Amino acid sequence: MADPGLTVEAAADTSPHASEYSRAARRNRFFRLGKGLAAYIVLAVFAVIAIGPFLYLLSPSFRKSYELFSYPPQWIPKTFYTGNFATILHETSYLRWGLNTAIFTVSVTLITLVIDTLAGYAFARLRFPGKTVLFALVLATLMIPTAVLIAPLYIMISHLPGWTHSGVNTFPGMILPMVASPLGVFMMRQFISTLPEALVEAARLDGASEWQIFRKIVLPLMKPAIVVLGIFTFMFQWVNFLWPLVITTTDDMKTLTVGVASLQGQFVTNWGVISAAAVMTMVPVIIIFLVFQRWFVQASMAGALKQ
Amino acid sequence: MTSGTTEGAWDELTLSEADYRRAGARYRQRRSFRAYLFVLPYFLPFLAFLVVPTFWSIWLSFNQGGLLDSAKYVGLGNWRAISSDTELTGAVKNTAVYAVEAILLVFTLALLLALLLNRYRTGSNFFKLALYIPLLAPAVLVGLIWQFLTNFDFGFINLVLQALGFDRLNILGSGTLALGTIVLAEVWRGLGFWTLYFLASLQNIPEELLDAARVDGARGFQRFRRVTIPLLRPMLLFAVVIAIIANFQVFDTVYVLTQGGPAESTSTLVWFIWKRMFQFQETGQAYAAAVLLLLIILGLTATSFWLLGARRRREA
Repeated sequence: MADPGLTVEAAADTSPHASEYSRAARRNRFFRLGKGLAAYIVLAVFAVIAIGPFLYLLSPSFRKSYELFSYPPQWIPKTFYTGNFATILHETSYLRWGLNTAIFTVSVTLITLVIDTLAGYAFARLRFPGKTVLFALVLATLMIPTAVLIAPLYIMISHLPGWTHSGVNTFPGMILPMVASPLGVFMMRQFISTLPEALVEAARLDGASEWQIFRKIVLPLMKPAIVVLGIFTFMFQWVNFLWPLVITTTDDMKTLTVGVASLQGQFVTNWGVISAAAVMTMVPVIIIFLVFQRWFVQASMAGALKQ
Repeated sequence: MTSGTTEGAWDELTLSEADYRRAGARYRQRRSFRAYLFVLPYFLPFLAFLVVPTFWSIWLSFNQGGLLDSAKYVGLGNWRAISSDTELTGAVKNTAVYAVEAILLVFTLALLLALLLNRYRTGSNFFKLALYIPLLAPAVLVGLIWQFLTNFDFGFINLVLQALGFDRLNILGSGTLALGTIVLAEVWRGLGFWTLYFLASLQNIPEELLDAARVDGARGFQRFRRVTIPLLRPMLLFAVVIAIIANFQVFDTVYVLTQGGPAESTSTLVWFIWKRMFQFQETGQAYAAAVLLLLIILGLTATSFWLLGARRRREA
């Protein structure tokens, strides 16, 4: 143990002066400002990487294809050539593909919402023999790749038992196999499990039937989960490619993804036309997205927390 | 059931034990029946379009034909055929290389961006929206966009290379660069999804824990390593499993960008299955490869649970 007086003196000697404190604080502020600046530069770079390629497509869609090969490149066309869009509208079934896509995605989404909500409720709140086993079965099928299902589904749909004609190139044939996805049941069950059980119990004691409980108590509380699942299903089916590719053989039943892919064969190196098709496909979705942006972002973030 | 008069309700209590048991059984039966009604609308398509086709595929992998003609049993013939097929081993290798590169790259970038967005909230909405937009593009369009970026004559990448004084590259025609392009295209598309996923996970971490670590003198990276990462583990497990299942099925971008070429250097498992089934009509081999894909995914999922899940249990 040293003499207390001595320690105080020593401490006073080594302690920095007020000016040194303020210098350290300034240095700290400077570093923090620098770090913030670096962070925003990184974010901005990735924002440009995310959006840039879409803007890059705009330019060729308004130019004649051979103009693309000029060097140095001419990013902003001197005259806006709209012939590429006219070609798409008049020489392909583009609008029909758009309609098919709308029918396909909306139908799958609506059916999925209804049946997944019902099943999710049963798995979360009702009691019945075999519940655990059935739910485990649903979870296990999450791992089954689409490639495993595609051929048997094609066989089933093309030789529908008891039907005189095949389901290839029909909407029911396209839509129904896609509503079996297990992800929604899982999400709905997880969400309903977080709702207070007391509400359901109280309604049951008051003599409400299971259907009334579901319809009047549970369903109104499920709006956020329904929005999340709706957006997820819509997005999955909007980008769906493999199944529509297999189940449609005629031009007027194609969806946009399959149709736009087929343009590559039709307009082999006519890049202006191909980019115009891509622009026409992206613009409506981006508009829908910007209108409902809050829901989209929240859906993705909420989806992450529902496991 | 209990809506009778008070008197009636009391009478019920005087039933014998057997009567009670029977009434209970009847009630449970009715309850189960109603529950099955809730589950049925989903289970009909589920059984018809998911469970049955899976077993059917497994059965067909021991058969020849079946798509347009009737199936003929060939035992292990298909399995023997694909096990000695260098195109399949190549496809498995390409898929694995692709998946490892894509998952590592997208997780690293997404975690970085999520940490930044979590720390710097001003204007974060704009960045979230910007990162989300590639998600709206179907893989077919992603493929088209990347064809425009990598085109030899007018692709952005080549124009930049030329401006910097390098030679132009035939990117999609090169056996070494084509698979990398598919990785970049898929990472570009998936980055927004995983960034939002990790951001949601980060925002779920209680602020007090990080504050406590700060008070205890833990530096930024230490806090990340010792507090954030362990708390993220369950989310990370789910992310790894989903990413494996999705990335081992890569097909759309291959279809649009390279058609498996050049020289099978971007042939992935699903591309192999697709080609065998619809171009070569070798359906038996296609089924065998599809079942192989299923087995690979099952194995990797189990491994992820074992590696990431077990430790979580020990720590809990």
